Amino acid sequence: MSAALGQSVSLGRGTPANASAPAKVSVRDFDFYYGDFRALKSINMEFRERHVTALIGPSGCGKSTLLRCFNRIYSLYPEQRATGEIMLDGRNIIDPSVDVNELRSRVGMVFQKPTPFPMSIYDNVAFGMRLYERLSRADTDVRVEHALRKAALWDEVKDKLKNPGTGLSGGQQQRLCIARTVAQNPEVILFDEPTSALDPISTGKIEELLEQLRSEFTIAIVTHNMQQAARISQYTAFMYLGELVEFAPTDDIFMNPREKRTHDYVTGRFG
Amino acid sequence: MMSASTVPATAAPPAWGRVRSSRRVADRALKVFSVAVSILGVAALGWILVMLLVQGLSALRPSVFTAVTPGPGTEGGGLANAMAGSFLLTMIGILIATPIGVLAGTYLAEYGRGSKLASVIRFINDVLLSAPSILIGLFVYTFMVAPFGNYSGWAGGIALAIIAVPVIVRTTEDMLSLVPAPLREAGAALGAPPSRVITRVTWRAAQAGIVTGIILATARIAGETAPLLFTALNNNFWFSPSLVGGVSNLPVTIYQFALSPYTNWQELAWAGALIITMTILGLSVLARLLLKKDTVR
Repeated sequence: MSAALGQSVSLGRGTPANASAPAKVSVRDFDFYYGDFRALKSINMEFRERHVTALIGPSGCGKSTLLRCFNRIYSLYPEQRATGEIMLDGRNIIDPSVDVNELRSRVGMVFQKPTPFPMSIYDNVAFGMRLYERLSRADTDVRVEHALRKAALWDEVKDKLKNPGTGLSGGQQQRLCIARTVAQNPEVILFDEPTSALDPISTGKIEELLEQLRSEFTIAIVTHNMQQAARISQYTAFMYLGELVEFAPTDDIFMNPREKRTHDYVTGRFG
Repeated sequence: MMSASTVPATAAPPAWGRVRSSRRVADRALKVFSVAVSILGVAALGWILVMLLVQGLSALRPSVFTAVTPGPGTEGGGLANAMAGSFLLTMIGILIATPIGVLAGTYLAEYGRGSKLASVIRFINDVLLSAPSILIGLFVYTFMVAPFGNYSGWAGGIALAIIAVPVIVRTTEDMLSLVPAPLREAGAALGAPPSRVITRVTWRAAQAGIVTGIILATARIAGETAPLLFTALNNNFWFSPSLVGGVSNLPVTIYQFALSPYTNWQELAWAGALIITMTILGLSVLARLLLKKDTVR
């Protein structure tokens, strides 16, 4: 890593950003409110297809708030509302006419703490896909195995698929949640600090996984860990006090930021 | 100007022995007092249990479980009809109360968070939780017994259900509130509608607690006497299978037999009291085991 830092065009193990990739998600003039408090201010940015975009910034900057808009999970709480546009495949997903459950089957989410459901490993993975598809037992088996393989968990659980998902270790539980999300074949996957509750080895596995998932899915990840953002993402957005300060290829954000605030943050001067 | 003398340059460390002995005495006194009172409380309970065991076991013989309650001045007899009646009344009560209680608790915890209606319901439920049970018996009497001129097991079961509902509502709400919010969000994030998240995820996560609440409510109504006095009443024979007319049951039998002048009635009252207490004890232990097993996992 140290040798690469000076001259490499890419910080991460991922391939460098491809500026010609089409935008999968476009955010335009987007505002978000908790009651009267304006938590996001005129956000404009794009998430490129099959790239990892990291959202970084100090606590309370709005990065998780923004992430929670892409699947409208905030709408569980009536006092939260959004204005503006988030375009996904030609639809403004903020518009109430877009069915939230259909949206969420297209935009998956993995949370900070692993959230295995109180049911077997198999049923955990099958939960999402059973919602929108009628599958035979055999098809379900195939899909469950496929999803668990994609989440790099198959070898560890193939002999105990009937065991409760809550019996797995923290890192395994998180990969189970990823398998559950992947099983639905979403187009976008949101990760909300997916490794902050995990040990370094589990974290490493999840990061490797993200790199593999990128070949199929558009990924947005919120992280507190700047090294992680540098390792796994191709684009990075730096947010501060509800504003998008700078959005650029990850290499530029970390090595050649345009804004002084970005520079101060990534060099550890505040935050 | 602050003179140097008010703030000594090198403050002397505080002298030892600043904690006055009176404070230590008070501390010790409180400890001794609270231990003594706890022992007294538990001892009273222990005494009741010992008395119950001694008197109840000596009265317990096979005929208690096979023979019906004896008439006045008749020798022998048992409690078979009273136990069967109690079992039926409790079952009716809990079968009516469980769906109502679980669904109302679910509304309070899942849909009604922070709503006005929910807080009104929660308040009324708390009032009902501590309402005198004899009032509930009278209430059911006025619309299920008086109009028909007949006591019935159905009236008794409904009176017991009214007592069980607030217990189940409360425990269901409390247990569902303990389910972490991210679990619900994770269900919603997969595109599951709220009904699906509740039935497949949150209910399951709170399952042990909810079942425990139902068991504790069963234990509670199994020993209720007052609501049955005006509804199921009692009788000394096998009750009608339609449950119309008086239905024999343990609590009212104990009440009547214990106050009677007949020795065999008094003995049967002891036996009945022992049976009820052991049943309730068993249910409570079962509830605890269930909850413990769940928290260990």
